[in-house]
Amino acid sequence: MTAISEVVKPPRPASRIRVEQLQAGLFASPYLAHLLLLTAWPFLALTYLSFTDYDTVSSPGWIGLDNYARLLRDEDFWNSLLNTGVFAVIYVPAQTVLALVLAVALNQRLRFMPLLRGAYFVPVVSSWVVIAYVADAVFNPRTGSANTVLGWFGLDPQTWLHSPALAVPTLALVAVWKGVGYMMVLFLAGLQSIPKELYEAAEMDGAGPVRRFRHITVPAVSGTTFLVLVLSTISVLQAFEQVYVMTGGGPNGASEVTALYMYRQGFEYFQMGYAAAIAWVLFGITLVLTLLQLRLQRKWVHYA
Amino acid sequence: MPRKERSKIAVIATALALTATAACGGGEDTAGGKVVLTLGYYAEAGGPADATMRKLAAQFTRANPGIEVKIESADYDEFYKRLRTQLAGGKAPDVWLSDGVLVQEFAGRNSLRDLTKHAAGLNLADYHGIDLIKKGDPQGRLFAFPQGAQSTALFYNKALFAKAGVAPPTAEWTYDDLLAAARKLTQDTNGDGKPDVYGFRAYSPSFVESWWPMVKAFGGDVLADSGKIAIDGQGSRDALAWMNKAMYEDKAAPDPVTTEALGKSQILFPSGIVAMQFGIYARIQTAAQGKIDMGVAPLPKGPGGQRGELANINSWVINRASSDPEADAAWKWITFFAGEGPQKEWMSIGEAIPINKKVAQSPEFLTPSTPPTDRKPFVDALADADDLGLNPVWSEYTAAITKQVTGALSKQIGIDEALRTAQADAQAAVDRFKPAG
Repeated sequence: MTAISEVVKPPRPASRIRVEQLQAGLFASPYLAHLLLLTAWPFLALTYLSFTDYDTVSSPGWIGLDNYARLLRDEDFWNSLLNTGVFAVIYVPAQTVLALVLAVALNQRLRFMPLLRGAYFVPVVSSWVVIAYVADAVFNPRTGSANTVLGWFGLDPQTWLHSPALAVPTLALVAVWKGVGYMMVLFLAGLQSIPKELYEAAEMDGAGPVRRFRHITVPAVSGTTFLVLVLSTISVLQAFEQVYVMTGGGPNGASEVTALYMYRQGFEYFQMGYAAAIAWVLFGITLVLTLLQLRLQRKWVHYA
Repeated sequence: MPRKERSKIAVIATALALTATAACGGGEDTAGGKVVLTLGYYAEAGGPADATMRKLAAQFTRANPGIEVKIESADYDEFYKRLRTQLAGGKAPDVWLSDGVLVQEFAGRNSLRDLTKHAAGLNLADYHGIDLIKKGDPQGRLFAFPQGAQSTALFYNKALFAKAGVAPPTAEWTYDDLLAAARKLTQDTNGDGKPDVYGFRAYSPSFVESWWPMVKAFGGDVLADSGKIAIDGQGSRDALAWMNKAMYEDKAAPDPVTTEALGKSQILFPSGIVAMQFGIYARIQTAAQGKIDMGVAPLPKGPGGQRGELANINSWVINRASSDPEADAAWKWITFFAGEGPQKEWMSIGEAIPINKKVAQSPEFLTPSTPPTDRKPFVDALADADDLGLNPVWSEYTAAITKQVTGALSKQIGIDEALRTAQADAQAAVDRFKPAG
């Protein structure tokens, strides 16, 4: 009986519960305010605006599905989606593979490794304006080093960001250079959690470095690879600042990605309702791609 | 609830309420009995335009002790990005400097005061640009007042002309003369098979210095007086064909890709890569930075004798949402800026043609000691110029045309198809617009 009486606590008075509830509410209020004001409200407003003709100055006027119908006919919008798709097809795999290769190469206990890891991380924390200047030193058609390298192999110089065919691939390469350091850090964390015994056992069984990489490293970091793929896909669909700073969508719309097109509609042409509809479509594409990746990961991601 | 708990909750709730009230509070339009005038303009921070504007604002405040001026400035892109957000939030400046081509975009969305009554007390014939501003409004109202004017002239590099033994351009030049001179001026100095100096810059993303005046000179138009898009016409076809001949057949002008690859279109003349360009008045500043000994001549004549002159009148506009005292203070600022003293100050930085005709006709402006020493072609062009097809969707419809025209000038699509698509896309943008109110 004594033991039971020690476990069963006397009921708290109702007033005490009310105070605790109130205190809990107050502690949660900053988060709730953030959720309501900066997430839920803009989300609802965006949904409403996408069904309106709204020039940002006059009151929005309900036009039903007109904005979405216009999107279907808008060649420039489809062109921007195509540009975003090409950007993603180059950027996502290139960044993922390069980040993994770099992480494996830098996952060693050598003297200058921290310095090297830091060097690869510097572009991640640099602004796009700085990156644009550095990229110009490489891809400037007259003075850039990229054309010098092409010259060594007897190839014709290119106009890179000024070429309709090369603008998006060049942007994707620069984006890989800027973002690879961050993804490399994610892979490094994944690599350091692989037990060394696995490699030792494989080595004793006669597996060489390539087989160890293929059969131990790649499966072991598949969870990280999945994360990197999802993050890279989302970031490429949101690509704006880089394109705005480096090409402005040019030459002649050749690098106009969807986020930039949306910005132009909303903030340059006063068509916030149409921009809201584009935002919704972009959100839908992001959601579908993420769900697809989630579904497919069951087939190739190995969780310990 | 214990008293201590209640007190704590009351303190937190009061703090939250005060924070919310402060966040939602509106701006003041008076301070210590003074009217607070928010003045917005675009200028490079710390540059000559910014410094001169601040100096003039200080003079204005001294002359009007009942007005306190609060300045909001940023570079061009940032200024308009911010302004559009401010308009949406009802926090735009009381008076701001509008790019002339954007006045109707703001007016068409009910953001501007009609200044017609304010201006009734002035002799409007004393100022350049009034008619071009009125032309933008279907009812001829005055939604802006000129601040500085830009017209287009033919810039030429005197040293490159002398080196090639070509006579400088004259007012009688036609487009044939321009092309003939451009061919002679084009030079491959290092023998690599590519020109190092081109005779003329035909293409520029700044279309007022490129295809637009050419379309008009060849008898075409972009926006007809009826308000309909008119780009798909014979004049446009002839103008674009002339440009493509200059770029691809005669190779006397860099094509669009080469223009950008050589270091952007506005760098070519100041760096001596092209010997001639169509340029607005403000290009004198950039050419002077390149220490180019330049002259200016009227634009060449098209087949029908037209020059296709265009002008953009950058203007002061007053926020429709401002109170009457703020609007009155804003009008005082506008008339102050249009006066001879401030116009001379503004003229000294070389950014625009003075809108005060007396100042624009002064020897200090027309025949300065720095090149170009004869600036009369700009004033003459201003007198004959048409506007840049102003309407409430100017940015959108000109972007639609520019995309197709650039495609034709880059030989990505044929001229006929480009003009047909440009016509349809631009007209669709015009038709989509529904006036506010």
